[in-house]
Amino acid sequence: MTDPVRDPVLAAIRRRRVTRAMTDEPVARADVETILEAARWAPTAGNRHLQRFVATTHPGTMRVVRMVSPGMIARPPAAIVICVDRELAAQYGFRPDVPGPWIDVGTATATILLAAQAVGLGAGPVSSFSRAAVAVALDLPDGWSPELIVGLGHPAPVQPAPMSAGRRVTWRDLTRWVPEG
Amino acid sequence: MTAPWVLDEDDALELLAYLVTAARTQVDEAAEYGPMRLLTAAHRLAEAMGPRSSPETAAALGGPLAAMPTLAVPRDRTEYVEQLDAACRSLAAHLKARYGS
Repeated sequence: MTDPVRDPVLAAIRRRRVTRAMTDEPVARADVETILEAARWAPTAGNRHLQRFVATTHPGTMRVVRMVSPGMIARPPAAIVICVDRELAAQYGFRPDVPGPWIDVGTATATILLAAQAVGLGAGPVSSFSRAAVAVALDLPDGWSPELIVGLGHPAPVQPAPMSAGRRVTWRDLTRWVPEG
Repeated sequence: MTAPWVLDEDDALELLAYLVTAARTQVDEAAEYGPMRLLTAAHRLAEAMGPRSSPETAAALGGPLAAMPTLAVPRDRTEYVEQLDAACRSLAAHLKARYGS
């Protein structure tokens, strides 16, 4: 097995944590653009690029987004909202309830979380928010469905405890070899 | 004499938006998140109320409620329930002292 401490990519994956408290220091737009450039390279099924990204560093917009996002515990000064272009998905033949486009949201999220770390920012994904309210707050085009918000900011020195305290799992806990042995 | 407001319009709007949108998100979320959402609302309300409350209410808000972590219900529920009960008892004692005698 490759040493996860010496390999820079594996080390970054192990080092990443969800940031649950952020300072009010503004986030540079250039840093958000670097993260968006990385997100563009996230894998997408069939190379279809059904995700759309909405980015903001606007304090008033961030305040409204947080107000309608119960899962947003931190007060991030910036965010990237990952949307699915439902109209484009329908043109490819996706029914509204199939999970394919959500998987692409997941790959984009993982990429964004790692890219944020690379530019020295903390990041926290938020799935608990009112889709309807966020669509209004961000003036989303018809057909763009907001699926996940990644809050971005500078980590506060003290971080709250994780939402649920659990034991540390290893890859072995999560994996079953077939055939066994 | 009318009691002074402990929330301004912005504080109240923020909490209102949180509660309404949490009602919607909770439809799709794990049930164990319900207490956490309510506790988050309680913490935010307490945080906004504290500076403008009476000394007695401010002290009550800073008691076991403040110490209650905003966690989802853990699999081992005993300690979580005991902490919540302690917060409830502390609040009840304040309410009784303020209104019950």
